[in-house]
Amino acid sequence: MVQRTLEKLAAIKRGEISAADSVAAALELIEKKDKKINSFIELNQNARADAESLDRKIKGGKKVGRLAGLVIGIKSNINVAGLRATCASRTLENYTSTYDADVVKRVRAEDGIIVGMNNMDEFACGSSGETSAFGPTDNPAAFGHITGGSSSGGAAAVAANFCDICLGTDTGGSIRNPASHCGVVGFKPTYGLVPRQGLIDLGMSLDQIGPLSRDVAGAALMLETIAGKTGNECVMLDVGKVNYSEKLESKGLNGMKVGISPKFSELTDPAVMDVIDSQVEKLQDLGAEVVDVELPNLEHGLSAYYLIVSVEFFSGTRKFDGRKYGKRIEEACGEEVLRRILRGRYISQKEYRGKFYQRALQVRTLIRKELMSALKQVDVIVGPTVPKLPHKLGAKLSLMEMYAYDYLTIPANLAGICAGVIRAGEVNGVPVGLQIQGKALGELDALQVMRSLEAIE
Amino acid sequence: MNIKIGFEVHQQIDTRRKMYCDCPTNYHDVPPNTNVCPICTGMPGSKPLPPNQRAVEAAIEIALMLGCKTITDQTVYIQRKHYDYPDLPSGYQRTSLPIARDGELHGVRIREVHLEEDPGQYEPVAGNVDYNRSGVPLVEIVTEPDMKSPEEARKFLRMLIRVLEYTGKVRPEAGGAMRTDVNISLEGGGRVEVKNVNSVKGAYRALKYEIIRQREKLKRGQDITRETRAFLESQMVTVPMRTKETEEDYRYIPDPDIFPLILDETKVKTTRSRMAEPPHLREKRLMEKYDIPHAAAEVIVSERGLADLYEAVAEEADPKLAATWFQTRLKKVLNFMKLGAAEVKFTPAQLASLLRIVKDKRVTPEQGELVLREMARKPADPEEILLGLGLAPLKKSELTAAVEKAVEENPKAIEDYLAGKKEAMNFLTGKVIGFTKGRANPRDVTKLLLARIKQKDKS
Repeated sequence: MVQRTLEKLAAIKRGEISAADSVAAALELIEKKDKKINSFIELNQNARADAESLDRKIKGGKKVGRLAGLVIGIKSNINVAGLRATCASRTLENYTSTYDADVVKRVRAEDGIIVGMNNMDEFACGSSGETSAFGPTDNPAAFGHITGGSSSGGAAAVAANFCDICLGTDTGGSIRNPASHCGVVGFKPTYGLVPRQGLIDLGMSLDQIGPLSRDVAGAALMLETIAGKTGNECVMLDVGKVNYSEKLESKGLNGMKVGISPKFSELTDPAVMDVIDSQVEKLQDLGAEVVDVELPNLEHGLSAYYLIVSVEFFSGTRKFDGRKYGKRIEEACGEEVLRRILRGRYISQKEYRGKFYQRALQVRTLIRKELMSALKQVDVIVGPTVPKLPHKLGAKLSLMEMYAYDYLTIPANLAGICAGVIRAGEVNGVPVGLQIQGKALGELDALQVMRSLEAIE
Repeated sequence: MNIKIGFEVHQQIDTRRKMYCDCPTNYHDVPPNTNVCPICTGMPGSKPLPPNQRAVEAAIEIALMLGCKTITDQTVYIQRKHYDYPDLPSGYQRTSLPIARDGELHGVRIREVHLEEDPGQYEPVAGNVDYNRSGVPLVEIVTEPDMKSPEEARKFLRMLIRVLEYTGKVRPEAGGAMRTDVNISLEGGGRVEVKNVNSVKGAYRALKYEIIRQREKLKRGQDITRETRAFLESQMVTVPMRTKETEEDYRYIPDPDIFPLILDETKVKTTRSRMAEPPHLREKRLMEKYDIPHAAAEVIVSERGLADLYEAVAEEADPKLAATWFQTRLKKVLNFMKLGAAEVKFTPAQLASLLRIVKDKRVTPEQGELVLREMARKPADPEEILLGLGLAPLKKSELTAAVEKAVEENPKAIEDYLAGKKEAMNFLTGKVIGFTKGRANPRDVTKLLLARIKQKDKS
């Protein structure tokens, strides 16, 4: 399969297509098609000017960045100075960012052109893209179905060819879940690899910003753009600049050990599992050794996750008290956001601390240990991303049915490890994504597996 | 009656930048909301920078000077304490678990020491919030309820302030850098917490008021329930804030955006070796080493700068005379000029030299004080100042000339005196002392004047 991102980059750098044309084409396509898809909340009025100034740089023979001229969408919970970081909520619908998030600074420094703010589940609370106060996003890869969430707009914008790369955020699967449903590449980095300065919190101990892209090269380029320690926040890993894109090869996987867990098929729709199994066979064809790993408590991550995330979300939303941003969150938000705030408020009470939050943290430790020990035996663990196919837009699901989308993505967040998703195939025309979970800072291994599969498509 | 009093003292640490961002801390000196950034105003998406290390070290030093054991080589979480108030931009205040425990000062046990950050300043009448102060580092010192009277409590607070000042790492008490929550319970009543106390005087008055209030209630057979009250400085009374039973739950959680602190044992050892000698220990040492009375030693150690100056001077001049001077004349001059001991410009050697001149009786102590006042204004060698002030010993001929001059220039006063107005003599004496620039002894002058007038009257 050709690497479209790399081809486009080369053409822009050689001056064969201008960044301005590339942005104009994207904006035209968005204009034409996004009414139906609804992947953007706000467009960047400066995008054309930014592209023109880049073109002048290219014409002048100046060195340009690694994302030169690529069309970038940003999830609406990441601050981009001058644009609204609404979090797809009425709470912040009039909040215009006063500063760039660190990842946005890095994207700008590498000459990516930010075209707008993507739709999302409200405050990233959702796994379907339907909780947005700005309306749900339709799935360009399977119209009439949910995109998944919470980075719904970003995944859809890539799938609809509006954007080359989008920045999403992943707290319990919010990049990987929509990547799987929309048939694009998504990557959640190791916790602490990418700065969160400027990311509006869902669960601070779980949130990571990562790329959604049409190919592995795009994800690798974006990841190496945004990764690495800054002096600008506290909880980061001590990692300098990284390089993945130059190290990815379309070679086989000789010598690589790939783990699968019997737990995956227990939790997953057989039709989805069929697609995944055939991909695992391909990995064997590519030379990887496939072994079973034990993840006995995998499914307990779900309830632990929803307790932890609710407490942290409750804490993080206290600033939306109606004084500075116009609306008090409890009065302006949708029902899933309110449910999480109230849950967080309830279980963080003094008398319940030992019962819920502390217990959840213990489960988290247990799952981290389990995954870490499995990843000592293998280089990556592969399996399904989402245990079932996306529902049709507007279908009514129970709360547990909704939360059940997250069973397989949550463990990577709880453990802080990295995980990527690549299109594995489809079931009745609906994409299914393969999830590759890597070690902490095992980004290169995970990307390498993804690239090897992509290369034989 | 059995009274129990305890404190939670919050003191600003003197750092250049705030606790979790790079904004400056001089909030008094700048227009509202200028020392601010996305972090200290809690803008959506902002994350704290790593804790200010100078603040952490200062808090450790304070804890050590209070004889606390530091919590070393284990994680100390920074917690989020949630409450809803306009001055709190994120809806929570960051406060550490104890960094040290189990200290003692003046017989009062120190329960624990925490690191905190200041909120902004809310002006309820205008409805304004100024975030300049938001994020300024604080140390919180929690005592056990070991004080038994307002007087004891006042004494303790004064001693605590002195220890804090000795570190050289806190903001001066004036200007709201220190705030205290006061806990008080009387035998047979519940514990009452008084918030919003901003000075030692305030704490004393709040306690006095509370004891009367609670005692009267108990006398009438009423219950004293656990409650939180606010001190109104202007009216010197306390008013109820909320009852403890319904106290809001702060829902503490470890802040996920900050690595827990780990105090390194070797670093603590370094701090201990470098820290200033605590005032109460220094007082004892000075008394023994220089054989000076307790009252003088107490004054000398009241300021670290004063004690440092004393020890330097005591090396070169009589320590006992120096102690007397520090206790009386030096203190007087500094108070008069509103100078802190650390601000004086003259050298210890210059002060020692002055004391030697006094000791040799080359000038009277009163004259010495004049020299000292001049030295504090414009540092110089005391010998030169003596000359400049004309305080070199008065010659007989100079005194005679001054008397002559006074008599010649004031015939009316002499007439008045001879006519029986005795006050005229005081006037003339003052003139002579003025002419001699204060060097003449008033009694001698009067004697000479009388002789001269008698002589003149005869002629």
